[in-house]
Order: sequence, then C-alpha cells, then structure tokens
Amino acid sequence: MTISDFLPAAPEISLLCSICAVLLIDLFISDEKRVVTFWLALVALLLNIWVVVVSAPPDPTTIFDGSYIYDPLSQVLKVAATAVVALGFFYARDYLRQVGMLKGEFFVLGLFGLLGIMIMISAGSLLTMYLGLETLSLALYALVAFDRESPQAAESAMKYFVLGAIASGALLYGISWIYGVTGSLKFAEISQSIAVRPELNDVPLWFGMAFLVVGIAFKFGAVPFHMWLPDVYQGARSPVTLYIASAPKLAALALILRVLVDGLEGLHGVWQGMVMVIAVLSLVIGNVVAIAQSNIKRMLGYSAIAHVGFILLAVFAGSEAGYAASLFYTLTYVIMAAGAFGMVLLLSRQGFEAEAIADFKGLNARSPWFALMMLFFMFGMAGVPPWVGFFAKLNVINVVLDAGFPGLAILMVLASVVGAYYYLRVVWYMYFERAEDKSVFQAGRDTRALLSLNGLAVLALGIAPGWLLALCLAVIG
Amino acid sequence: MFQAILFYTFAAVLIGAAMGVIFSRNPVHAVMFLVLAFFQSSLLWLLAEAEFLAIVLILVYVGAVMVLFLFVVMMIDINVERVQGGLVRYAPLGLVIAGLMVVELVQLIWARSRFEVATGGFAATPEGYSNTEALGAILYTEHVYAFEIAAVILLLAIVAAISLTMRKREGLKVQNITSQVAARAKDRVRVVKMEAEKRQ
Amino acid sequence: MQTIHLTIVLAPLLAAIVAGLFGKQIGRAGAHWLTILAVGLSFVLSMVVLKDIYWDGGAVENYSVYTWAVSDGLRMEVGFLIDRLTALMMVVVTFVSFMVHIYTIGYMHDDPGYQRFFSYISLFTFSMLMLVMSNNFLQLFFGWEAVGLVSYLLIGFWFKRESAIFANLKAFLVNRVGDFGFILGIAAIVMFTNSLDYMTVFGAAGDIARQDIAVFGGSPWNAMSVICILLFIGAMGKSAQAPLHVWLPDSMEGPTPISALIHAATMVTAGIFMVARMSPLFELSETALAVVLVIGSITAFFMGLLGIVQNDIKRVVAYSTLSQLGYMTVALGASAYGAAIFHLMTHAFFKALLFLAAGSVIIAMHHEQDIRKMGGIRKYMPITYWTSLVGSLALIGFPGFAGFFSKDALIEAVRHSHWEGQGAVYWIAYLSVLLGVFVTALYSFRMFFLVFHGKERMDEHTRSHIHETPAVVTVPLVLLAIPSAVIGWFTIGPVLFGDFFGPSIFVLPGHDVLAELGAEFHGSAQFLAHSFTAGPAFYLAAAGVLVAWFLYLKRPDLPEAIANRMSGLYTLLDRKYYFDELWINGFAAGGRRLGRFLWTRGDELIIDGVLVNGTANSVGRLAGTLRHLQTGYLYHYAFAMIIALTLFLGWLLWLQ
Repeated sequence: MTISDFLPAAPEISLLCSICAVLLIDLFISDEKRVVTFWLALVALLLNIWVVVVSAPPDPTTIFDGSYIYDPLSQVLKVAATAVVALGFFYARDYLRQVGMLKGEFFVLGLFGLLGIMIMISAGSLLTMYLGLETLSLALYALVAFDRESPQAAESAMKYFVLGAIASGALLYGISWIYGVTGSLKFAEISQSIAVRPELNDVPLWFGMAFLVVGIAFKFGAVPFHMWLPDVYQGARSPVTLYIASAPKLAALALILRVLVDGLEGLHGVWQGMVMVIAVLSLVIGNVVAIAQSNIKRMLGYSAIAHVGFILLAVFAGSEAGYAASLFYTLTYVIMAAGAFGMVLLLSRQGFEAEAIADFKGLNARSPWFALMMLFFMFGMAGVPPWVGFFAKLNVINVVLDAGFPGLAILMVLASVVGAYYYLRVVWYMYFERAEDKSVFQAGRDTRALLSLNGLAVLALGIAPGWLLALCLAVIG
Repeated sequence: MFQAILFYTFAAVLIGAAMGVIFSRNPVHAVMFLVLAFFQSSLLWLLAEAEFLAIVLILVYVGAVMVLFLFVVMMIDINVERVQGGLVRYAPLGLVIAGLMVVELVQLIWARSRFEVATGGFAATPEGYSNTEALGAILYTEHVYAFEIAAVILLLAIVAAISLTMRKREGLKVQNITSQVAARAKDRVRVVKMEAEKRQ
Repeated sequence: MQTIHLTIVLAPLLAAIVAGLFGKQIGRAGAHWLTILAVGLSFVLSMVVLKDIYWDGGAVENYSVYTWAVSDGLRMEVGFLIDRLTALMMVVVTFVSFMVHIYTIGYMHDDPGYQRFFSYISLFTFSMLMLVMSNNFLQLFFGWEAVGLVSYLLIGFWFKRESAIFANLKAFLVNRVGDFGFILGIAAIVMFTNSLDYMTVFGAAGDIARQDIAVFGGSPWNAMSVICILLFIGAMGKSAQAPLHVWLPDSMEGPTPISALIHAATMVTAGIFMVARMSPLFELSETALAVVLVIGSITAFFMGLLGIVQNDIKRVVAYSTLSQLGYMTVALGASAYGAAIFHLMTHAFFKALLFLAAGSVIIAMHHEQDIRKMGGIRKYMPITYWTSLVGSLALIGFPGFAGFFSKDALIEAVRHSHWEGQGAVYWIAYLSVLLGVFVTALYSFRMFFLVFHGKERMDEHTRSHIHETPAVVTVPLVLLAIPSAVIGWFTIGPVLFGDFFGPSIFVLPGHDVLAELGAEFHGSAQFLAHSFTAGPAFYLAAAGVLVAWFLYLKRPDLPEAIANRMSGLYTLLDRKYYFDELWINGFAAGGRRLGRFLWTRGDELIIDGVLVNGTANSVGRLAGTLRHLQTGYLYHYAFAMIIALTLFLGWLLWLQ
C-alpha cells in the first residue's frame, strides 16, 4: 500500500488538515478580527471542493478494505454539501457579527460537521457510517448549544443529545445484528451474502434492519422519530438551524442509500413497508402540524419533516429512477432550505430575531427584491411550477406511480396542497400585510448577492431541470 | 453445564443491577448499581472468551467514566422525588411496551435458534488464540480508517467541550495577576490633605 | 425549400413582433413598410412554392420542423405539409393579405392604433399560414385558435366602442362553441389513432370507419361520423355556418380591411379548407357529408335572404359572405372539394374586392355606412364604381367573371351529386343553391344600385367632400378586380378539372362528381356557352339583377310597400330569424342563470363553504390537535421512539 492508494480519500484528509489549520490560526486572531476565521473557513471549503473534483479517480473505487467508497454519487453529494455549508457560513457571518457571537468555534465545528457528512457519504461499511454519523452529530450537538446564554438552546441541545444517543444505540444494536447474521460490516459483502445465501433473509436480519431504519429515520427527522427536530430548529440560533436544516440532509440521504440500498437491497420488500409508514406519517404530520405554527423556524422544521416524507417515498419506490428522484429532491430541497433560513437571518439583527412568521409582514414594502426571493423559496418548497420544487415533487410522484401505488401519489398531492397553505401564508404576509418593522438590512453586499443567486437558482433550476435530473440519474446508475 | 450456571447467575445479577439503576432513589446508589452492571457484563464477556473487551470495560467504564459520574452526581443536587414522579403515571403503558418487547425478543431468540440450525453457528476458537492480538491486528489494518475517524471524534469532542465551557462570565471575581503586579500605591490610595474642620 | 417555407411563415411573425413591441420606435412608416415587405416576401415565396409544386412538378413535402413534446407516444410537433392544396391556399392568403396591408395605409391613416393594427394583421397572416401549412392536428388547432384570437382582437380594435366590444365577445363565444366540437373531434382522432399526424390518421381512416363509438346513452355511432361531425362543428363556428353564423355580421364592427381579410377572404374559409384537407375522413362518412350538405344549403339560401333587408353596406357584404360560405359548404357536402376550394379562391378575390370597395365608399362618405344615405356616387368615384361592378358581377356569377365559373361548377356538381339514400337532402341542396343565385343577384345589385345610382340621398356637407380615394386604396382595388374578373376563365380548367389537387384531396370513386363534370368539360369557352343552356342559374341571376333594378331604381317606392304588406316576413328577416335572440336571451341568458345558480349554490355554498373552507377548517383543527403531541418533554419523545420501534419489530415478526 502506497500513499497514492489513499488518494480517493484526499478530500477527507485535506479537509481534516484544513480544520486543524483553521483551529490553530484562530487562536492567534483577536476578537475584532474574527471575520478572518470566516474567510479561512471559506478558503477551506473552496479548497475542499477543488480537492473533491481533482482527486476523483476515473472509476468507482474502494479503499481501506472497502470501508471507503468513491463513486460519482459521493462526488456530487460532497460538492453539494460543501457548497451549502459555504452558503450557510456566508449567511451566518453578518448575523453572528451583529449579535456578537462571531467565534472561531462556530466555523470549526461547522467544518467538523462537514467532515462527518463527507465520511458518511463515502462510507463503505456500517462502522464507517456510524463513525461519520457520530462526528456529524457531535458537531451538531455542540453547535445547537453554541449560544451558552440561551436556556432554549441548552434545552434543545440536551434533547437532541439524549434522543440522538438513543438513536445511535438503536443503530449500533442493529449493526451488531447485521454483523452477527452476515459476518461483515461492509455494504458490498452484506449485500453479497444476502444474495448468495437467501436463507439469511429471515427474522434476525430483519430485526437488525428495523433498528437501522430507526436510526436513519431519526437522522432524517421522520415521524415518529422527529420529535427532536422542531424543538432543535426553534431552540438553536438561526445560523445553526440553517446548518442543521441543510447539509446534514445530504448525509442522511447518503445514509439511507448506502445502508438500505447498497447494503440491504435484498431486503427491499421488508424495509419498504417500514419506510412507507414512516414516510406517510411524516408527510401528513409534517404538513398538517406546520399549519399551526407561528414561529417560522418551527414551521420550516415541520416542513422539513414533510419534505423528508417525499424523499423517503422516492426511496421507497425502490427503482433507480426513484433513487435519482430522491437525490434530486434532496439537492433542491437543501438549496431552498438554505435560502429560506438565509432570509430569516437577513431579517434578524442585534436584539431582534425574525423568528415569528409575522415578522415577514410587509416585507414587500421594505424590500421588494428580497420579498420576491422569499416568494421564490416559498413557492419552490410548496411545489408551484415552474419553481424547482415542483419538478422534485413531480418526479417523486411519477416514480411512486410507476411503482404501482396510485393511492400514495394521491396522498402526496393532497399533502402538498395542505402544505401550500402555510407557505402561501408567508407570501400573504409579505405582500398583503402592513410592515411593523421598518429597519434596513445590515447584511453585506456579498451576502445579499449570494442570497439573490440562491433565489434565482430555485427558479432557474425549475425552468431548466433537465441537466440536474440527468446528472442524478447518471450518478445513481 | 457449569458455564450455563455461571451465565445465568451473571445475567440475573446484571438484570437486577440494571433495575436497581432505574429504581434506586439515591443517585449515588444508582451509579453504584451501574458499576455492578458493568462488572456483570464484563464477566459475561469473559465467559464468551473476549478477555480484552472484558478488561477494557472495567478499565474505561468503571475506572474512568463511572468515577466521573460519581463526581458529577455528588456535585449537583438532583431532586429525585420529582424525577420519579412520572414513573407511576407512565407505568401501565411502560409495562405494556416492555412486555411487548420481551415477547418480541423471546420470539427472536427462538427464530435465531432455528436460524443457527440452518447456518451451523460459529466455529470454536483454535488453541492459543489471543483475543487481544486478533483485535489489534484487525484494528490497525482493516479498520484503520475507522480508527482514524475515532481519533478525529476525540479531537472534535475536545473542541466542542472547550467551546461550550470556556466562557467569560460577567461578575466573576477572578484574579488578574498582571494587573495585580502592575498596581502601584498611588493607584489604590489617594492621600488627601485638608484643613482640620473646626468644632462647631 | 424548407428554408423558404420557414421564411414564409416567420417573416410576418417577425414583422408582427417588431411592429407590435417596438411600434413607437420604428414609427408609423416603419411599421407599415416592415409588415408590407414581410408579407410581400411571403407572397413572392408562396408563388415560388406554387410554381415549384405545380409547374415544375415538385414533390409533396411533408416534414417535421420541431418536436415540441412527446407524451406517452403522442408526438406533438410543428411541421409542414406542402402540397398543391396548401400552396394554393398560401398564395391566396398572402396575396389578399398583401393587398389589405397596402390598402390599410390609406384606410387607417388617421388612426392612433396604426402600428398595433399592422402588427395584428401580420400576426394574422402568420397564424393563417400556420393553419394551412400544418401537417398535424395540433398545429392546425394552434393556427385555428390563433386566427380566432387575432380576429377577436381586430373586431374589438376600436375598443372604446361599446358595440365593438360586444361584437368581439360574441365572436369569441360563438367560436368557442365551434372550437369545443373541433377539439373533441381531434381528441376522438387521438383516441382512435394515438397520433396527431395527418398522414398517420388518414392511413388509419379505414379502421376508424369500421368502429363504433357510444355517444349518448350507449347507442353506437359510427366513429368516423362522430369525428367528422365534431370537426365540422368546428368548421361551422369558424366558417360561420348556421346556426353559429351570428358572430360574422357583428364582426363588421372591426375596421374594413379586417372585414376583407379575415371575415371574407381567409379566416372564415379556414373551415372550408379544413374539411377539404380532411376529405379522406369525410369521404368515409356519408352521414357527415349529408350534415355538411344540409347545413351548407340552409346557410347559402337563408343568409342570402337576410342580405336583402340590410341597410349597412358592410353588413350586406357580410351576409353575402355567409351565403357564399354556405355555397362552399354545399360543395364540400357534395364531395366536390375541388369546387369548394375553387370557389373559395375566386370568392377570396372578389369578396375582398367588394369589402375594400365598400371601405373606399365609407372613407369617401366620412365613415357613413348606411346605404339609404348614399346614392349616385358613381360620378364621384369612378374607380371604386367600376371595381365594385366587377366584384358584384363576379359575385352573382355573371358569365365570364370569376364567380361564374366557380359557382356554376359548384351548382353543376351539386346537381350531379345524387347518390343513394339522399333524396330529400339532395333536393334541399340543389334548390337552395339555385334559388340562392337569384337572391345573391338581388341583394348585390340592390346595394350596388342604392350606393352608386339613383338619387343622391346624403346631406350637403358630405356630398361636397366626396371624391375618389387615394392610390393606396384604389390600387389594391384594381389589383383585386383583375383576378376577380378573369381568374375563373384561366384556372377552371387546370384547377377544377385538371386533377390539380391530386392526392391532397381524396374522393371515393362513387362520389366523384367533379370527374363526371370534367368528362363534359371542353375548355372555358364551351363551359361559358354551356351555362346558357344547361340550367336556370344564369337566368335566375339575370332575374335577380332585373328585380333589383326595378325595385330600387325604377320604382324606389315599392320596397317599402312590399315590406309593409308582408310585415311578418319582413320582421322575421329584419330580426335575422331571431337567432340573436335565441343565442343571447336563450342560451347566453340561460347559461348565465345556470352559472349564477352554480356559483351561489354550488361554488359558494358547497365547494367554498363545505369542501374548501370546511376542509381547511378541519385541517386547521387537526393541526391544532396534533401539535399537542409535541409536548416538549424529553421522556415523551424518547418514549414515542421506543413505542414506534416496538411496533415496527412486532410488525416484522408477526405480520411479515
């Protein structure tokens, strides 16, 4: 084994080095110049994208005895996750500076979380997957509790931590059963042994699989393992919520695709039922309960649960088109979620958290452009054509129909209709209500430009979704 | 046979200790029960010929983690009565769920025995087999990536812990050595000369 | 050749876009030069196409330009089918359009919406070309709707006039009725063939004709009859056949060039063209042909009668258009598609001429349109007078003029078209077209005499200002008068009897009346001579002119006396058989009442009240309830997870 054998893992290795560098340099930066850390973190992220792109071997490869997988899917997910983390850092910067929380730890923890996400994305074995998940989770726990003065943050961090520990326990227990039955932790070998020895496809394996599904559902925040999600979304400071709401969803997608599809494809008929129940519950409860929310972060939390229902149903369909649809949905959802929380951050400032939906009242009068951007995000999430959310939903509905479940398709449409209500309420507030707050935004020009680009992307991807769809299909195939 | 007797003894004590953790009213007792539970698990591992894990369990969990727990528990004052208030209220539902879980596990064990007949179970370990050596060999070869990630997690844990605990709180009376040393008399005492006031 | 086709279509579109969006920038002259050049280019290129396909023996071209969408095997394309039928239509459309463009410079000279008008008529040319050049039903429907849209816009061009708005709404709504049938017909075609392409559909025509379709209550109908009748309902709307004709007279609210271009020469003939294009389908359903025949005859005769009592100069021409469209439809019903298209072509020239001449008169009379207030203006407007005379003679089918050849051939075709089981229908058709000749001559020359001869009934001020219109008006008149006079003579041989259309029109051997006629045809001169002996058509026309002369020049007091004596009949005609009342007070009012009922009871009460608000309220209540599941207690959350896990495990263990 030579050093070049590790080359496929270069993104993780170089990101770890970058993190250490940022961590060290941050020590020598005074509080007034803390924004330097932000730029360093940004450089680390850009470097990471570059490394992901250039270090890619020509063909799918596994290293570390199969613990690490490089394939086109991992490349797409890593670039997307890195980009979205960078977006989140950007949106967070001005807010953190205004509330006096611009600390190096935020960026370092965020980078660690990204490292965890990337480990999960490239995980080739249950063990790697679990460790990546723990890396991500630990960073997230610390980020949620980042505001030490806020009792809500501490409370939600505590809930997240304890429930996360239970979910990790379930996951580990499931892993041990799978290992016990198949004798391996590696997805390829697990799937191989199930294929070769059909007698393994029995209750003990299902048992382990059920625990794995619980762990996955928890990570996604799917009903009934979603309870942490609204509380954490609301309790954490907005930049942290943005972080949690965006990139980790990509990791969760990698988790489900690697574990259930790569590893336990042979058990498709068994996990399909569980995934369906979880997805349907998420779809219904997420959309319905979101209506009753007055806090926009909490509302977006429930909306995230509902979107997870869509993603899970795409996986449920169990075809390549279905997996591609789930990838498309997740990628586009993450972009929209980052933008929506970016808007929350844009409106917030020292001493004022734009957390109530009512804080969006009359936004059109204050800033027609950003009201339009928020409208893009809301329409995108609601699935109004031609915004990209429409195509994402349409794809999923198509694959579910192709899989022969018209009832589910109808349910998805109905749930979307219910969901449209609370998104449109935000739009209503922005355009038809009088503004209570007249202050001007304090975000930098670069942040505004980025947020505008983000909004336009939601529209542009909806007008020309073809290439992204093709990309999703290509990397899944 | 002897092994079976040992196994059931240890297992029974383990379950008893676990119940003790939940039901004891004194948190210090609960921690001690947990220590007992760890010991029993470690014994079970010894029975399964996993010496290394058994020893590590004692060293790490009992020697380090539990001692830390004890410190924490003794330092903070937990109102046990209030915490346990919910126990009675949720007992019926809890019992139902627990019963269901037990039935499921029993069924699973039954299914597993059927399953082992099909697969033949695990082979016996050869003579002179060292559990520790085998673990070490696999840890630094096949699982080196996981091992490295574990190290990263430790680093992350340090960063997280420090970022959550290091803070400058207002109103704390901390010594500032530099300013103490640099202090001079005229900064602290002002000698005021004034006329003596007349007695009225 | 494909480039040429594309240029023909796109040049007017481009001109329309530029004139419409940048009208202010390019100015009035810029707008008319641009559009006229574009349409002129289209005309020249259309001539090239016609020359290529007719004289040079070029092949029929049928190709797809752009695939818009493929859905479930159904290809939606933009494509062209260029055969002789198409080429002829292209030339007619672009030529008349070209003339109208030029004429518009004079007619719309003082109008503030000058550029907008040019933009519209160019857009119309584009739409009409898309319609005739299409090789599939989707594009046909696009063109069909697009010409309808432009027609709507142009009827309401003077949108400040209440009556114009009423008229364009009426046109729009009546056309919707027809289009509904049309799109149902297309849908039925797609249902049977899963294709929109003409050739595929025609290829499958035999199969369709052998199938049945349950329409009302499960009684089986021949599928082809259903399709053809539905398509024909579309043609009835567009080509203003009774009883969907009511919009055409009102459409005269639009500027006169529009009346000439859209409501006489081109758009209204789209229905005729469509049926001719669909001849492979219509031929296979005698039921449909009988329907076409009857509707056509009714329109031809009864609409002509209305022309006699109208006093608005444009409305007279409009009713004459209705009547002539009826003639074409009769020809279609008699399987004489060639005769229909031939009459369509000659009619396009002379009817455009008549409209433009009427417009010329209207300009001179300072936008006075009532023929009772005209008279004797022959001496003021010699060019208009002579061109009008040519147009009128062509219209009544005076021997030698264009209309003579087409109408006489048409009547002969109807006379020969007697196949089995069609006795009553045949006689209705034949009598209608014959009597129609008399009626046509009567109303045409009534108008002609009232306008150009007799006493000068206008007021002093108007008379002092009457003078011949400028060259931009008269030149198109002359240019249109030439073909109106002679085109029949030159083209009847090749177009009608020379197998001009070839495979683009399909006629069953037993139906081929034109072939029967063609066997007796020995040149235009012989045809001319033959008309004096063959049938009563010529004598009926002459009688019509004489009666008109007698009633309106010799004894101008008589018409009123007759009207008083036969007041019942007169009122019936004056109220246009009460069709407007039927549509407006009957269907439209009934529709409004039904709409109001559905709105208040169905929409507001049931849908809004119960379904929408009711559902929304229940969802809201559900949300209010479900949110309480989120208690905020950590152990509740953990408990929920454990319960769910246990239930899942139980499911796997016991239910799988």
